Amino acid sequence: MNDFTFSALLIIFLVAVGTYSLRISGILLSSKLSKNRNIELFLDYLPSTLLLALVFPSIVKEGVGGVLATLLIVFIMYKTNNVFLSMFLSILFIALFRNYLS
Amino acid sequence: MDNNFRNGFLANLPIGVSVFAYGAVLGVLCIQKDIEFYQLALMNIFIFAGSSQFVIVDMWSTSLDIIGVTVAALLVNLRYFLVTASLNTLFLGTTKTQKFKFMHFVTDESWAITMQRLKQEEITPMFLLGGGVCIFSVWFLGTSMGYFLGDFIQSPEKYGLDFAFIAIFLALVISMYKGKENIIPWLITIVSAIAFEQLIDGKIYIVLAAILGALSAVIFSKDKRYE
Repeated sequence: MNDFTFSALLIIFLVAVGTYSLRISGILLSSKLSKNRNIELFLDYLPSTLLLALVFPSIVKEGVGGVLATLLIVFIMYKTNNVFLSMFLSILFIALFRNYLS
Repeated sequence: MDNNFRNGFLANLPIGVSVFAYGAVLGVLCIQKDIEFYQLALMNIFIFAGSSQFVIVDMWSTSLDIIGVTVAALLVNLRYFLVTASLNTLFLGTTKTQKFKFMHFVTDESWAITMQRLKQEEITPMFLLGGGVCIFSVWFLGTSMGYFLGDFIQSPEKYGLDFAFIAIFLALVISMYKGKENIIPWLITIVSAIAFEQLIDGKIYIVLAAILGALSAVIFSKDKRYE
């Protein structure tokens, strides 16, 4: 095995071990901490805040089309509460917007 | 087959289309960076975290910076600590062994769909595993197709496929809306995510904004359920 192959495999190994450690330590620690009221509330909010933090910078980067697609998703979810329909129609909107309107 | 596993698998199929497309893009990038297929396969199997795999491939060069690449990839994956921490309710009453078995298959997509379903009905950790296996399968298939048939999907952006991640995550978060008490923490998260993303290199802004938003919920809480 040459040095480059060794380095590549070492990176894959280290990132794999690190990522699994992050995944497992989250669930193991939460079961110990969640009896506290504040931590319970914190953990309850995490899914939504993580998702918001994941998507909003990308929406801003998308520009007008992204903002309009966001409003479309909010509207469809408000009317139907259908995640798949929201996803399908907003993708269609973005595709049309990118190809014909922007 | 366990119903929860099957339901989790099926619930993740729609977003699987987008995961497949992005996997294909990663496969094409691997060819351009002279990455061997077995190395891509090892990443898929043992890391199984798409965004960090993109970081690794992006930083791949003739002289690999072991520490730099590893730290960058792990910073991207730091959010998995928070992601799995929020799964506590689903895993109540399970053994440590089950947690050790299931955690590797937690992805953004399967986790988000599980959290949404958990608010609507009773599900078991098998739902999460079913979703994870679905995403793993399409990810592996997508990266492999991209690697071996490099030209078949060059621009998923043209068809808006890259927006599928944003769309589904946004729809899921809207379905988590419980009332006015959500508004301030959510606004704080949104504003800080946009600001941090501009100010700080890398993907750490996701973790920082999520923590700040959830902390603000604790500080401003008037939610009677927690008192």
